[in-house]
Amino acid sequence: MGEEEQMNQTPNVESPGNAASFVVRRSAFDVRRILWRILDFIVAAIFIYAGVLKMLDPAQFAHDINNYRILPWTLSVALAFYLPWLEILCGLGLIFRFLYRGALSILTVLIVVFTLATIAAKVRGLDITCGCFGHASQHWSLPAHLATNLGILAALLVLFFLGTARRKAVL
Amino acid sequence: MKFLPARQALILAAFALLPGVGQAIYFHDKISWQSPIPRSELVSVDQARAWGENVTWVDARTDQDFARDHVRGALSLNEDRWNELLPQFLAGWSPGKKVVVYCSAESCDLAREVAERLRKEAQIPDVFVLEGGWEAWVKKNR
Repeated sequence: MGEEEQMNQTPNVESPGNAASFVVRRSAFDVRRILWRILDFIVAAIFIYAGVLKMLDPAQFAHDINNYRILPWTLSVALAFYLPWLEILCGLGLIFRFLYRGALSILTVLIVVFTLATIAAKVRGLDITCGCFGHASQHWSLPAHLATNLGILAALLVLFFLGTARRKAVL
Repeated sequence: MKFLPARQALILAAFALLPGVGQAIYFHDKISWQSPIPRSELVSVDQARAWGENVTWVDARTDQDFARDHVRGALSLNEDRWNELLPQFLAGWSPGKKVVVYCSAESCDLAREVAERLRKEAQIPDVFVLEGGWEAWVKKNR
């Protein structure tokens, strides 16, 4: 088969129909990429904000953890020093795409654990302060609390399964 | 180099330890690792009753709980209406009197928060938290 003939058989973007379709697909891909990044930034901002608030007042956060009556006080204090930094680092991981899937995994586990602990506390009739966002979330009702957590969890799962799949497809 | 999510997560978890430990060292004298409320700031029902008239009782629960029932002579002071209730409390408190703050039960944190604010914002020295809160009071007074 001659070279000229072979080129004619190979689909290429220079034919007007293919070029248009390529441009449409490309722009749709760009829009999706921007949307994923926006979602990355929103989720990251939530965790960085929450982490910074708690990091600034570890004593209060230790009391918030202790109110759940799940862990001994000493462990509550240890977590109060550790968890805010973990949230901040994972948030930064999402923004800079550094250890991205690891950050998503940790944040997913954290949000699931927080949600289960909240439900368990309410079932046990404990008078808890969420502490998730400092005093801003002090008087959140259980439905508001759960709705926020589930929204964040959904965003994390979307990023993990669809956002990272999109990256793989690109690479 | 390809990292699995679990390996990435472990790396992040390890990184977070560094600032966490640093902060724990920095805050070592500001927070007790032994108990949420230092022993010296707690008072039992029996001990508080033994102080007799030398105590101002503070109910840190909600207005509804306070309206339902409270320790006789207690003043309501909660964080929801702090600015409104604090002057009333200060009018009822006299210097030299001990202050005992309580909330619903052992698990609530309101009494500790109110006690802390009374020490910091109102500069009242002898402020204690009632061990076991209202629940313990009711049990002892049945």
